Amino acid sequence: KQLNQQPPSTTTTAQFYSNTNDFLQAVTGAYNQLRAYPDEVLWMGEMRSDNIYATSDGNRDWQLIRNFSPNLTTVSFVNSAWDNNFNGIYNCNSVLDNLVTKGTNVTDPNLRARFAAECHFLRAFYYFQLVRLYGEVPIVQHVMTASAIEKVKRSSVSDVYNLIISDLNTAIDSLPNSYTTVDIGRATKWAAKGLLGLVYLTRSGPTYAGVDGPTQGTNEWNLAMAQFNDIIASGQFTFGASYPNIFSYTNENNPEVLFDVQFMSTNNGADFPSQLTPLSYWGGVGIAGTYGNGYGSCTFDISKNLRASYAGSMGAATDVRDTFNIDWKYPINTSNPPAMDTANPFIKKYINIAKRGVAYNDWPINFIVMRYTDVLMMKAECILNGATGGAQSTVDSIVNLVRKRAGIAAVSHVTLPMLMEERRREFLGEGIRWNDLVREGMAVTTINNWITADGQSSTIGQVMPAFVIYPVPEAEMLTAPGLYTQNPGYQ
Amino acid sequence: PVLAQNEAPSHPVKGKITDDAGQPIPGASVIVKGSRTAVTADANGEFSIMVHKKDVLIVSYVGFQDKEVNVGTTMTFNIGMVKGDKSMDDVVVIGYGSQKRRDVSAAVATMDTKSLQEKPITRIDQAMVGQMPGVVVRQQTGMPGSGFTLLVRGTGSISAGTEPLYVVDGFPLDVNSLNTAGGFSNGNPLNNLNPDDIESIQVLKDAAAGAIYGSRAANGVVLITTKRGQVGRTRLSINGNAGISQVARKLDVLKPGEWTQMATELENDKWVASGAGRTADQTIAQRQAILGLASNVYNTTYMPDPRWSMPGHPGIQYVNWQDAAFRTAPFQNYEVSASGGTETVRYFVSGGYMNQEGTLINTGYTNYSVRANLEATVAKRLKLGFNIAPTYSVINAPAAEGKDNQLMHLYNMIPVVEDSAGLNTGAGKNAVYGWATSNISPVAYLNNVIASNKTTRNLYTVYGELQIISGLTARSTFNYDQSSLDSKSYISDFVAGNVTDRLNSPGKDASGTYSGFTKQNYVNENTLNFVKTIHDDHTINAVAGVSYNYVHLETFKIATAGGFANDLVTTLSNAIPSPAGVTVTGTTTESNNTLFSYYGRLQYSYQGKYLLSGTVRRDGSSRFGKSSEYGNFPSLSAGWRVSQEKFMQPIDFINDLKLRFSWGKSGNNNIGDYSAIPTLITGAVGQTLYGNYSFGGSSNATAVTGQVPNGLPNPNLQWETSNTYDAGLDATIWHNRINIIFDVYQKKNTNLLLTIPIPAASGTTSQLQNIGAVQNRGLELGIGATIYRTHDFLWTANGNIAFNQNKVVSLGDLGDLINIPNAFGLGYPPFILQKGQPMYEYYAIKSVGILTPDDINNPKVAKLPKQVAGDEKFQDANGDGVIDANDRVHAGQPTPKYTWGVTNFFHYKAFDLSIQVYGQHGGAILSYIARAIDNPSNGLATTLGVWRNRFMDTRQNYNAPRGRIYSTYAIPYTTTDWIYSTDFLRIQNITLGYNLKSILKTGLFSNARVYASMLNWFGWDKYKGGVNPEAQNTNLTNGTYPLPGDYGAIPLSKSAILGVNVSF
Repeated sequence: KQLNQQPPSTTTTAQFYSNTNDFLQAVTGAYNQLRAYPDEVLWMGEMRSDNIYATSDGNRDWQLIRNFSPNLTTVSFVNSAWDNNFNGIYNCNSVLDNLVTKGTNVTDPNLRARFAAECHFLRAFYYFQLVRLYGEVPIVQHVMTASAIEKVKRSSVSDVYNLIISDLNTAIDSLPNSYTTVDIGRATKWAAKGLLGLVYLTRSGPTYAGVDGPTQGTNEWNLAMAQFNDIIASGQFTFGASYPNIFSYTNENNPEVLFDVQFMSTNNGADFPSQLTPLSYWGGVGIAGTYGNGYGSCTFDISKNLRASYAGSMGAATDVRDTFNIDWKYPINTSNPPAMDTANPFIKKYINIAKRGVAYNDWPINFIVMRYTDVLMMKAECILNGATGGAQSTVDSIVNLVRKRAGIAAVSHVTLPMLMEERRREFLGEGIRWNDLVREGMAVTTINNWITADGQSSTIGQVMPAFVIYPVPEAEMLTAPGLYTQNPGYQ
Repeated sequence: PVLAQNEAPSHPVKGKITDDAGQPIPGASVIVKGSRTAVTADANGEFSIMVHKKDVLIVSYVGFQDKEVNVGTTMTFNIGMVKGDKSMDDVVVIGYGSQKRRDVSAAVATMDTKSLQEKPITRIDQAMVGQMPGVVVRQQTGMPGSGFTLLVRGTGSISAGTEPLYVVDGFPLDVNSLNTAGGFSNGNPLNNLNPDDIESIQVLKDAAAGAIYGSRAANGVVLITTKRGQVGRTRLSINGNAGISQVARKLDVLKPGEWTQMATELENDKWVASGAGRTADQTIAQRQAILGLASNVYNTTYMPDPRWSMPGHPGIQYVNWQDAAFRTAPFQNYEVSASGGTETVRYFVSGGYMNQEGTLINTGYTNYSVRANLEATVAKRLKLGFNIAPTYSVINAPAAEGKDNQLMHLYNMIPVVEDSAGLNTGAGKNAVYGWATSNISPVAYLNNVIASNKTTRNLYTVYGELQIISGLTARSTFNYDQSSLDSKSYISDFVAGNVTDRLNSPGKDASGTYSGFTKQNYVNENTLNFVKTIHDDHTINAVAGVSYNYVHLETFKIATAGGFANDLVTTLSNAIPSPAGVTVTGTTTESNNTLFSYYGRLQYSYQGKYLLSGTVRRDGSSRFGKSSEYGNFPSLSAGWRVSQEKFMQPIDFINDLKLRFSWGKSGNNNIGDYSAIPTLITGAVGQTLYGNYSFGGSSNATAVTGQVPNGLPNPNLQWETSNTYDAGLDATIWHNRINIIFDVYQKKNTNLLLTIPIPAASGTTSQLQNIGAVQNRGLELGIGATIYRTHDFLWTANGNIAFNQNKVVSLGDLGDLINIPNAFGLGYPPFILQKGQPMYEYYAIKSVGILTPDDINNPKVAKLPKQVAGDEKFQDANGDGVIDANDRVHAGQPTPKYTWGVTNFFHYKAFDLSIQVYGQHGGAILSYIARAIDNPSNGLATTLGVWRNRFMDTRQNYNAPRGRIYSTYAIPYTTTDWIYSTDFLRIQNITLGYNLKSILKTGLFSNARVYASMLNWFGWDKYKGGVNPEAQNTNLTNGTYPLPGDYGAIPLSKSAILGVNVSF
């Protein structure tokens, strides 16, 4: 009798899922792994793109990502992104399974449907991230035992996309248009549609030789554009008037934002604003020490041709995005006068010293995953790829809307390369550029050209088609030998 | 049994009791055999007593062999006693009883506790270092007062803990495993116990001996008996010693001049690599010009500090950080005890005070202890007794050891600081020296933090013993152990946060916590004991019992949320609000576990020649799944005293010879409470991990509780069991001059509670399962010998050696190999569990020298991308032309292959000298502290001395121990460069004593002795990458495996002590 001890300080699964509040907490738990997303796209996306060229002060983990090393299987970012996304999927599956068996404990059927829809959205989100990072991945739709999971092989990207699309359609059916007050930040119908549009758009991109990657050459530009058109027609979103205001600490979840990862100080602080920043910057604002990215005196410079790209589009006017996104010149100590660094511009987009929390990982700023400008520009991308029902004038007007807000001159006859370069300037630091390059089949040529143009050939290796996705982490390969086949091009 | 005494004794006898050297033995007891009549020898060793002529006197004294004397008509006796080194007559404590060593049929190691009082020893585990074959005490920390790790016969369990069960005076203490970082989270079972109170220590090594403790005996059982009163007059004893300690060794890192020279070379290399047209001979001014910097601005990556090369280096100071942080620390220890007894009441009372400052600044240990044991015969057949041991200790232990703690900073802090900052570089208003990392001075840190851990421990035992009929006794005990820790931590903002905050918002970056736990362990045991001798030939001893054990643990923690208002008040009453408006955060937790057991033992002896013993125990533990909570643990052992056989009688050479065989099963449930129950996890207050999230955007930002499954549950967890076979031999030979104890054993642990990696697609990366088996085989030898004896001189020696071979036998259906990644997320997994190999073997890429230009040009020599001549060369173990995970090689095992210890005692007249030496061989340490300070490429830290002989373009040393300082290839995260042998030899103790009785011709003292000791003063080891080859302070596997390693340790201390023992 005394041997039956139950933990006094932790909730047991047997007790849980017994009422609406339990399920609410479980759904919240499913959102938790979104917290890993910003660092994932910065270190594995922005770092791999032509937006920054980082210099290392030793042998650093991220260096292999930046250098296009074929030897990435033990890099911690590669490892943790796999683990985190699958943990997110597990959390979604736990809720979905329990909704099947105990769902009636949620008395409001609409709420019950919303909970399921939120989990379907999140599962699609995590899977889409996995597909973009690793290509083929195992499909897990229910909680499985350890021995069962050791028999689940990687599925083709096409099968994973089918699950993602099915999940998103389920989510679209039951998610609300919007939320109020303390529910703001949950997945909406429009977030799901935006993601679905991006999924179609990505899938449509040209394939890379020998790689079962995120692009499948499906040419579903029409399907993608339909989603974007729905969003635009909904009237739920507006094109933000001021570029900096979109990223303001006091203007989160403004009408630009379709979906973002929520952060707040103390209890749910963000560390992405202080990633990809040089340590010396923190010395200049007098808070050296614990701040920064943990990589000593590494620098994360804006690449030369991106600097030129901003300048080239500047004309007489100043590109608002240039001055907002980048710190070109900053003090590196608190002497009077301070020593200045003018050689290592970096992305300061999300830093607001006055709003910093108690530590380097405690910034109360959300990370925008998708915003309305992106939706508009993706629509333009669909049109330029031949989606029916679009016109060059629509493309031009979208791009000029963006350029006008940035304070630079209008252009006409926008081509796909022009659009993609505009996106590069617009979304710097938002973890989007690398995915753009992969999606439009530009990853290999553009990066290789950039490496040469920026004079980085001595450090950065040749980009191979295989490198549009990452390898399966070594830990996974070793855990169940023979279960997974490694992606080509990696050792 | 009490014999009837019909007539009053009428024969007066007197006598004198002396030792080998003819010195009187005051306090020796003289008992009339079969009666309760007893006297104690006086200060001159003399006694007188009234007896019958037919009586037999038994003379006994601790450390001497009992002697029986027939009275007859003799009136005066001169009784010489012989020192009993490890006599067959020694009483050995076994579970729920005791036996003479000659009757023991299982493997039991006994520790010589005679010299315990005269060593500057602060803990019982410390006393056991190097003393018993097969019992390895690992001194994993130099922090005073911290518990050590005890390993009995190798490591049997992979994930479920390897600590033995400690039983103090019959009270089984709660087993508390090492945490994964190699320390004890909720108190070591031996905390606060005063080693001066110990009468004896025995370790039950095989399952036959331990099986009576069943479930928790798989890692051995340590039985500790405290001192008790004996019938006779009151004995008062005072022990005191005091001395000093220093660190036993320091770490060899580059000296200031060596470091500035290497840093200059590195900056030149980086400068040259940073762009075309940049050369090493460009001056600082030229480099400033190229970079567009003002003449007072230095790019520390590309330029040295010009002051390094100026004579006298004006404006900067060179510092030896280790000299600044380690000190000569005083030690003192006093104990007073009184004991005595009458026929009906026996008592022992002691009080102790110990104070040991640590060799690292701001560390120290103070212990106050009281013990009282009392046993009373309250009625003819009823004995009652109690033991009380209240203690209190304070340990000052700032976060010094382990990754990112102060010693790691200390060892790799560069030896240069600004004059204006000195040892406070980076602290207070001082900036960090421009060419250093951003670390705050570890010396300033240690001096400006409070880390005080106060442990209150109360051990109580109450028992009653009733003799129901002759030979049958019932005993019931109630044991209660309460251990409470209160920790106060305060980190002044002088050594936290940053300069701006210190100036603008003082106190904001200060932090403090108040935390601790209370652990209650309640054990009730009820036993029946039956002893019967039939026809003088058949002796039966039977025990049956039932016990119930309940452990309750509560923890709490309160922490600042936003800093302190100022530096003047360091309690949390002075805390200020965080941006969220909270001043403090806090949490509490509780957990329980229960164990319910039945057990029995039957021992049978025929003519003292053939010995048989069998035990069985059935345990139920709340930690396992409902269907698997009970486990059965039987054992059998047999002994044959060959020397009692007739055919042995003519052989004089052998005094005693016994062969032993045993088999037994015991269990292990050391997996933490509730491991079998599927639970959910949420973030603790102020913690963002695990489930919690926030919603609401800017205007309604709200933290929301989330709950997610805590790993992948396994409700089928069951007992891990170990099966031990042991064959042994006990012999006394050559006129009792040599004692031998020899054992061979095989211990196989099966159904291992093992955390195994599973595909992350399951949602988690590991799961606790019952899988696999580990085997330990070994050989143990203990020898005690009287080497030389004359009237004035005695030389005795004890030696022990133990070989243990550990290997993984099975990993269930996981195949042959589990790879275990390191905690730092990088590199190929450096640890493996592989069938047929030792547990947690190191598995790393082997470094094999320096790449020569020939190697570079030779395509057959495998290289990493971008390697150049002068870089380190790695072995392409599988010969496929690439260096990758498949080139890892077996590179050593964490546990030693054999351990040994030798103690020599010399007595010459009034002098005595003992020298204790011990060592271990065959193990290795994969040192991440060595790795951390063996990496000059960022230039901001100092490095191991190994870099003195580096490869340079100007000095192309292809025999250098390391490659170029500046390299652009990705160095494999773990290579054999950081695997060091843990072989060592230490002279653990040298004590020289002098017996004052020979000059103080007074009857005031029964014993008076002064002595001087040197503890751990001399030692040799091969660990060049750290300071203590046994150090453990950081988990190396992200907490999944109990695989602790060294990431910066306090060196062990060496001490010199003067002491005195006086008894009245």
